[in-house]
Amino acid sequence: MKQLPLAGIRVLDLTMMWAGPYATRVLAEMGAEVLKIESPGAWDNIRTLIPLEGVEEPWNASYYFNDYNRDKKSVTLDLAQARGRELFLGLVAQSDVVIENYRASVMDTLGLDYETLRATREDIIVISMAGFGKFGAERDHVGFGPIIEQMSGLASLTGYGDDGIPYKTGISYGDPVAGKAAVAAVSMGLIRRRKTGLGVHVDLAQRETMSTLIGEAFVAASLRGEIVPQHGNRDLRFAPQGVYRCKGVEQWLAVSVRTDGEWQALAGVIGGSELSGLTLKERRARHDELDTAIAAWAARQEPQAAMEMLQAAGVPSGRVLDSEKIHDDPHLASRGYWVELPHPRMHAWKQPSTTWRFFEANPQLRRHAPLFGEHTREILSSLLSVSDAEMDVLQELAVIGDAPLNPGIG
Amino acid sequence: MRAVRRIGRMDEAVLEGVRVLEVGGGFAAAFAARWLSGFGADVVRADPPEESLSADEQVYLLAGKRRVSADQVQLRELALAADIVIEDQKPGTLAKWGMAPLDLRAEKPELVVVSVTPFGQNGPYATYEADNIVAFAMGGLMSLTGHPAREPLMNGGSQAYCLGALNAFGAAVTALYGAMVQGEGDWIDISLQEAAAGMMELYGPGTAYNALGAHLRSGNHVRAAWAIYPCADGYAGVCALERQIPGLFAAVGDPELQDDRFRDPLQRALNDDELQAKLYAWFGERTKDEILALSPKFKVPFGAVLTPADLLENPSLIERGYFDEVRLPDGQVAMVPGRPFLGYPWEPPSELHRPHADTSAVAADWLGLTV
Repeated sequence: MKQLPLAGIRVLDLTMMWAGPYATRVLAEMGAEVLKIESPGAWDNIRTLIPLEGVEEPWNASYYFNDYNRDKKSVTLDLAQARGRELFLGLVAQSDVVIENYRASVMDTLGLDYETLRATREDIIVISMAGFGKFGAERDHVGFGPIIEQMSGLASLTGYGDDGIPYKTGISYGDPVAGKAAVAAVSMGLIRRRKTGLGVHVDLAQRETMSTLIGEAFVAASLRGEIVPQHGNRDLRFAPQGVYRCKGVEQWLAVSVRTDGEWQALAGVIGGSELSGLTLKERRARHDELDTAIAAWAARQEPQAAMEMLQAAGVPSGRVLDSEKIHDDPHLASRGYWVELPHPRMHAWKQPSTTWRFFEANPQLRRHAPLFGEHTREILSSLLSVSDAEMDVLQELAVIGDAPLNPGIG
Repeated sequence: MRAVRRIGRMDEAVLEGVRVLEVGGGFAAAFAARWLSGFGADVVRADPPEESLSADEQVYLLAGKRRVSADQVQLRELALAADIVIEDQKPGTLAKWGMAPLDLRAEKPELVVVSVTPFGQNGPYATYEADNIVAFAMGGLMSLTGHPAREPLMNGGSQAYCLGALNAFGAAVTALYGAMVQGEGDWIDISLQEAAAGMMELYGPGTAYNALGAHLRSGNHVRAAWAIYPCADGYAGVCALERQIPGLFAAVGDPELQDDRFRDPLQRALNDDELQAKLYAWFGERTKDEILALSPKFKVPFGAVLTPADLLENPSLIERGYFDEVRLPDGQVAMVPGRPFLGYPWEPPSELHRPHADTSAVAADWLGLTV
């Protein structure tokens, strides 16, 4: 593939926070032109989610906002004002995709429901990604990622297993999961449009996408009425498996033994050769005892050396890389995963590259996240021929703007 | 308005006529191919010599696919007869089998090959041994999960594999679109570690930017208003942003919450333990249903920890036609999560075929061979 797969595709991005912006960031990585649309009075709160004291224009200086919004253009438009909606529909007529992650009712209330968008451009691809879908008994429930993982069944399966307590994941897991699925929904819309000329309205309920990630637990529940138990870091098939503390502050090593051969190798490395003949059944029965032996060995090891030693012996093992160590991981470094991009308001830092490594099309990070409203005039002028004089009027009416009207903590 | 072409049928599945070969048989490749099958692709799974999926995983991930046994020569022919190859072998394996992705692509330029492996195709860990927990640990999410006084915790299910599958699915259809437009496919390298490493919420970029050391796991309490609590009949939770705090306090109804020490975001941070104690008591007196009913009323993100069994009876999911039935070879029927999103025709993967059951049918369809 000589060009990026989505070259020439224009996306109008009304999404905020993580799920939607993550989706549109990937669309941008794949070559789409993404116009991030915010209102001067109702903008993406993630800009100021982390209070930055003493920083000028904090909404333009957030590493967190930057993480989900690089490679996009920023256009301000107040969709609650008639002229703002009119201009938006003008953009719709010249775009391929509209994507939003409002609560289910918001687009309809704004008068920007699918039928209206479709009347403007018949083959428009519209992606809605409300937490619980556009229709159904729970459509009005408010769902952020941490809620989605509870309501999808995932939290019920996560836990140490000895105290009955369900656990949250370490992140707002529902968001990036829904985001990546939304990219697939867009690409499928483009495939379908190319085959049939038709547009589509996709109703992506974040909870439903999430439940697909634990499908086998639904098999157990529906076939046998079985509740899959929380099993901590152990595996229901292999043994031993766990996470063991190494030297250093909060440094841990994950180890998993899938076969008798891997067990013999592990037993040899940890100085437990007398245990190397244990069968899977015996290893499961004596799992606590084996954990103690592995933990005693691990406590004397540097984590990186321990991982390398076990891998050299053919035993699956990996460090529990934390948010600092992962940025120093030699493997990710050798793959060029962390990239530093210049930003006009911030010093450089390591940012994640694209996960979709097309060998030939070769997607690369191109530009930092846009400043607030940075491209408003450029886009309204080039696509809609709005004059400079009207632009000034629009700015006075706060239909457009170059700074939030109501800055504060998000 | 642009002229609209009408070539295909409106109700035709998006991936109708698309051939997908699944090589490997691990969780990630199988899951990615499952979605492609549901959206209408003809998915052929080359069964591995030794099945690594559990019985329940097979029901969920393999239904709707045709299953073949293939030696290396046949596998290569099948790959060249496909539009998309999804594989999760250890890097270098396909080359050893005489079907290196770049060679396949040279022979059939429009082919899309998606490789999904723990650490990607190159680099010092490329051939490391890994399963779900190892990939999950190396992707960084584990360091953020679990109780601060205990060891880091793995998420339920096989989430490292699931993330690989989700990325492989999205990349496959995106590349397929690119191939339709440009006439050329690509080879895509998905690493489970990278799929997770870029989604460490604000903790990843925050640590990289501020250089103040790692952010570690905080159990079920990021802060009082972003937490899971025991409730009268299980567990429930809340995740309120600043703009939702007034709604949360209105729902809770305690007049003390109107004090500045809770209303002001900076003071609230200093009084988080006190707020947490109040919310413990409040959640403890209410059931999951009572708490969930307050979400639309006060526009507050409340949740409840539901199990798959609960969800099979959830009225909203039933109304939205979410679940699919899968028929097993012995006649039993399982209920499984269906389409990841609504909008396109979905053909529920409804039959679980036996291993190798379709070897001669696929040889006839794809390769024109008759036995």
